[in-house]
Amino acid sequence: MHAQCNPAGAVMQIEKTTVNIGFNPLTDCASVVMAAMLGFDEKHGIRIVLSRETSWASVRDKLMTGELDAAHVLYGLVYGTQLGIGAQPRDMAVLMNLNRNGQAITLSRRLAEQGANDGASLAALMAREPRQYVFAQTFPTGTHAMWLHYWLAAHGIHPLRDVRAITVPPSQMVYNLVEGHMDGFCAGEPWHHQALLEGIGVTAATSQQIWPDHPEKVLGTSLDFVRAHPNTCRALVAAVLEASRWIDASDENRRATAEIIAAVPYVNTDKAAILPRILGRYENGMKGAWQDEHPMRFHQDGQANYPWLSDGMWFMTQFRRWGLLKADPDYLQVAQSVTQLRLYREAAEMAGVAVPTDVLRTSTLVDGRTWDGTDPARYAASFPIHQRSGSAGN
Amino acid sequence: MSRHLRIVLVHPPHESDASQRAAALHAGLNEAGYVLVASLPADFHLPEEIARLQPDMIIVDAESDARDVLEHIVVATRDERRPIVMFTEDDNQSSMDAAIEAGVSAYIVAGLKPERIKPVLSVALARFRKEQKLLHELQDTKLKLAERKVVDRAKGLLMSRHGMTEDQAYQRLRTMAMNKNLKLAEIAQRILDVEDLLG
Repeated sequence: MHAQCNPAGAVMQIEKTTVNIGFNPLTDCASVVMAAMLGFDEKHGIRIVLSRETSWASVRDKLMTGELDAAHVLYGLVYGTQLGIGAQPRDMAVLMNLNRNGQAITLSRRLAEQGANDGASLAALMAREPRQYVFAQTFPTGTHAMWLHYWLAAHGIHPLRDVRAITVPPSQMVYNLVEGHMDGFCAGEPWHHQALLEGIGVTAATSQQIWPDHPEKVLGTSLDFVRAHPNTCRALVAAVLEASRWIDASDENRRATAEIIAAVPYVNTDKAAILPRILGRYENGMKGAWQDEHPMRFHQDGQANYPWLSDGMWFMTQFRRWGLLKADPDYLQVAQSVTQLRLYREAAEMAGVAVPTDVLRTSTLVDGRTWDGTDPARYAASFPIHQRSGSAGN
Repeated sequence: MSRHLRIVLVHPPHESDASQRAAALHAGLNEAGYVLVASLPADFHLPEEIARLQPDMIIVDAESDARDVLEHIVVATRDERRPIVMFTEDDNQSSMDAAIEAGVSAYIVAGLKPERIKPVLSVALARFRKEQKLLHELQDTKLKLAERKVVDRAKGLLMSRHGMTEDQAYQRLRTMAMNKNLKLAEIAQRILDVEDLLG
């Protein structure tokens, strides 16, 4: 058994030294891959064993069975599972945020040729040429479903009534767009840049345009695992924090990261699909190109990794808004029980990473609404476009 | 049940369903007398097809990314759930049990012999029905508890405002409920709403 010193200088026993970590092949799996690649795991007395998964639901199932100890996972999936949406409720845990930003919404080339290349022009086209429009996301409670819904609604399009919203695995998005099965999709990278490279889609919006510096993937596990293996969890968070800091330290490090994660065992794609956007260099397929102010961030001096309670609560407000929850949960209580803030603070101290003092942060989203986490039930009820079924308490 | 179970098999979109696992399953379903109504690719048509076919059970490859499409169906049909059985390579009994608890009705391990399929599916279906029953009971109990709280608060209000005894307050609520043809909890809620309104 390995021993490690905790921040107080006391020796702590690592309960489980081999940690099985699941990830889906996406650009934002980089920090868990690099933690193992660069040996930050060994530095903290653990060994990360990576397991490439093909679906979010099986990541969840394997966290439940213990086949995976922790995983690179959708923020919303953790809360969906906690609240029993789609499966029996189970107590889940968010150990840290893995990244911010770096997702997008792609519209088909055909739509772009008809003049729809952003939210407003899409709404105009849908009014002008009525038919069934189909949009895909990756998981019913996932971040991409929430970004897509939010973006459509911000432009006056009801995501559950005006369009057909479907679930398609990320790796099949480009194929389905080529086949003309859908008009657009929201997923992680590198699939949007890939659609651009293949000339079949345009980037109508980045997810950071919907919510600048939004939370994206988390390092998630079950609460049972945290309770039985607190020191393993601390070591794991410290290792991934160090990898996150390393990736964000320079463009050179980002290039090396892209090189490694493009390989077959990880994202399994051409480096050219990953590289521009991990460096913040965007083009939209319509002759627009820019250096993004809010590109995918893995660290940002710890700001990107801190599991803000307001981030967790936001997903619950959107579940309520879209009828996935039929009543308001106790937002703050659920977020506090899922988010392992104390454990995060201790791990951050081990890795020498700064920790914000507040637990809520303030953001302004694409529709001009401000989210600061202080009155989630009111926020959830404040949207003119929604699918709230029944009244609270039903 | 006199009717045969109608089953839909879901396979990865870019593969045929001719894998060994699928072949064993076909054979087993035939032997067991189940009706395989369709073998569907897990593509974007899947939710529509499931809605059209209304199968009694869905069988899917657990390792396939089609699982997320299926999750969409599970979430979209939350109010009329059906059992889902999955193939997996994981033959660990404890992880199967945990998965079943997590909402999956059964895990069928690779290399399963055709003759084992009927008992496995029967157990899965039985478990599913039992779970659904427990779930409904739990929801009923929660609802009843919530209703009792409302009635208690309304009783308390009548007692403090109008000096009634607990028994009188309860009789008053019951009479009002009967006269207005409403449930006790509904009339109690109205009283509380009025109190809120008038302060």
